[in-house]
Amino acid sequence: MKKRIISSLLAVSMIAASIVGCGSASQAPEAEAPAKEETPAATEAPAAEATTETAEATSDEPVTLKWALWDVSSTVYYQPLIDAFTAEHPNVTVEMVDLGSTDYSTVLGTQLSGAGSDFDVVTVKDVPGYVSLVNKGVLEPLGDLISKDGVDLSLYNGVTDQVTIDGNLYELPFRSDIWVLYYNKDIFDKAGVAYPTNDMTWEEYDKLARSVTDTTPGAEVYGSHYHTWRSTIQLDGILDGKNTIVDGNYEFTKPYYEMVLAQQKDGVCMDYATLKTQGLHYSAAFAQGNVATMNMGTWFIATLIQKIKDGEYTDCTNWGMVKYPHAEGVEPGSTLSTITALAIPTSAPNKDMAWEFVKFVSGEKGAEVMASTGNIPAMTNDKIVDLIASMDGFPTDEASKEALVPSHTYLEMPANDKSSEIETVLNEQHDLIMNEEVSVDDAIAAMNEGVSAIIGK
Amino acid sequence: MAAQLSAMEKNMKKRQRRRNLVAYSFIAPNFLGFAIFTLGPIVLALLMSFAEWDGSNEMKFIGLSNFVEIFKDDRFIASLKNTIIYSLFTVPITLVIALGLAILLNQKIKGRNFFRTVTFFPYVASLVAVAAVWNMLFTPAKGGIVNQFLMNVLHVAPSKWAASSSTVMLTIIMFSVWKNMGYYMVIYLAGLQGISEDLYEAASLDGANAWQKFRHITVPQLKPTTFFVTIMLTINCFKVYDIVYMLAGGSNGVVNKSAMVLVYYIYEEAFRNWKLGKASASALVLFAIVLVVTLIQFKGEKNYAND
Repeated sequence: MKKRIISSLLAVSMIAASIVGCGSASQAPEAEAPAKEETPAATEAPAAEATTETAEATSDEPVTLKWALWDVSSTVYYQPLIDAFTAEHPNVTVEMVDLGSTDYSTVLGTQLSGAGSDFDVVTVKDVPGYVSLVNKGVLEPLGDLISKDGVDLSLYNGVTDQVTIDGNLYELPFRSDIWVLYYNKDIFDKAGVAYPTNDMTWEEYDKLARSVTDTTPGAEVYGSHYHTWRSTIQLDGILDGKNTIVDGNYEFTKPYYEMVLAQQKDGVCMDYATLKTQGLHYSAAFAQGNVATMNMGTWFIATLIQKIKDGEYTDCTNWGMVKYPHAEGVEPGSTLSTITALAIPTSAPNKDMAWEFVKFVSGEKGAEVMASTGNIPAMTNDKIVDLIASMDGFPTDEASKEALVPSHTYLEMPANDKSSEIETVLNEQHDLIMNEEVSVDDAIAAMNEGVSAIIGK
Repeated sequence: MAAQLSAMEKNMKKRQRRRNLVAYSFIAPNFLGFAIFTLGPIVLALLMSFAEWDGSNEMKFIGLSNFVEIFKDDRFIASLKNTIIYSLFTVPITLVIALGLAILLNQKIKGRNFFRTVTFFPYVASLVAVAAVWNMLFTPAKGGIVNQFLMNVLHVAPSKWAASSSTVMLTIIMFSVWKNMGYYMVIYLAGLQGISEDLYEAASLDGANAWQKFRHITVPQLKPTTFFVTIMLTINCFKVYDIVYMLAGGSNGVVNKSAMVLVYYIYEEAFRNWKLGKASASALVLFAIVLVVTLIQFKGEKNYAND
């Protein structure tokens, strides 16, 4: 009898142990809960102490800032930014902590929720990640610091307004990417078709893409290319400024889905299902040299220039870019944007120096460093645009330079505290439409219903 | 006499206690680790499942609402259904193929070690790498290798495999069987080698044919192995996550209701939507299912062993 109890206990613990393999991750932050709840007063006290300490020591005492970020080895601007900052503050060392790009926001959220995180500065990858961190209450509000030091928010082209939550700002953007249309000049030259322009409607774009398409097996030329992200198609619809992606009504996506589905059917663009299962990266697709146009963010510029310089990309060396196509009757140059920003966690040990760093990187000096590496800083002016356009490897035509200056930008995802749940619904329906599993109308109905249920809560 | 006896008994008890103490001290390090890293979190998850919590703000106890909510969530229902379908097919198919392979490769055939290695290889190879190869073979494009074979050799319509909601589970099950059969084959091989040759010899003398030998010697002798394999397979099937993510997630990581499994749902609720309570509740449901299935299997084993 005793034996049986023991053996069944063993069985239970065996199952428990094997299940926990998948459960442990979710329990890690939970385990820290009681500890955290008991000590709000205790954590505040040392934090206050630390700030006064660093306030006295800003001048020459050695300070080490811990900066959370991703893809250290493949991102060209981290080190130059740090070098420029430490040149001004020789007593500061900045230590980069790479959390990986795939699940960056998740990992960061988990790290900051637990006690004992000692990041001074964290990079915030996207708006949903930002909102979730703000909701968790782990980011330091920057409003007072901004007004104290007189940081001019108007230089950020209104982007900071879009991420102000309940009247306060918790991050300062240092990088801002807009979406443009890349094209391969060689394909247009060969087909004898005029290059895309900075003023194209979606119909003109569709026509243009079709005019350079070649469906001959083995020698295909694709007039357009849409990466598997929902943003490449769904968000084209918000650029007329009449709708947002969190409204709960998605009728406006219909013409764009229909255009792309027709292109997919006619072989104008590669098939979504294949792209998805084979995991073809958009850069690899464009580098193949048989993609005439591709809508993508300006983060691709630096990669493109670098890989062409390294001799890795040989079939797309003659590239250019133009402004995003626009809906009929809308001013050209409206486009999507994403921002990458810096924030200071409430648990940061060196808050004062962290603020200095955030101010520097997102300010003008940081912007110049960013621009010199081919990346678009959040703070732009003519000087910055010139700096990017004069980079070795940037297309020399005037249109490409003009394309860097948008007339109006819309965030890919506005600050909304249900954004991740909304995204789940939109992603699923996007996938179903593009796999041609459901009709556009049914998918839109499902989106409307699903998102309404979420925002109605 | 009686006093002597009781003294002896006492002595023995003392010795027994000391022996127990030594044994416990050996178990302690492992058990402490288990208590801190496994038991503790499990208990916390249990508490969490009755609360609403986003990981940093205050925890709020809300009774059974999480359970009510997940059973109203069609994504949860879909993931539950998919997990059960996946297990229902993967467990028996893997079991039968692993046993078949083990019997084949237990024979003295030429190149036996080579074939054993070939069968075991998918299990050792990195999941990410083999999933990429698999996705290339089973690409939804008409030009894919498997689709070409279907069209030109078997003359049937090509399939969209992992890209279609009707075939995605099939693709995942096939992949999983192929990837894991090698491991269970090795376990079966060990079991087969433990069967005494004498039994087969005696059966041959009695005029038993190959099927009879298999049915009446191999199968009963392998019972403990089969029991072990079934339990491990079942538990692993309910825990499936990586295979689904790799095959159905693709380049944008979007896993649909057609391929969603419980663990993926738990992950999504916990770390995308920061609903740790809801996630814990679904983890608890998963735990309950595996517990029940395993208890049934234990019971079945006992009845089975008695006949």
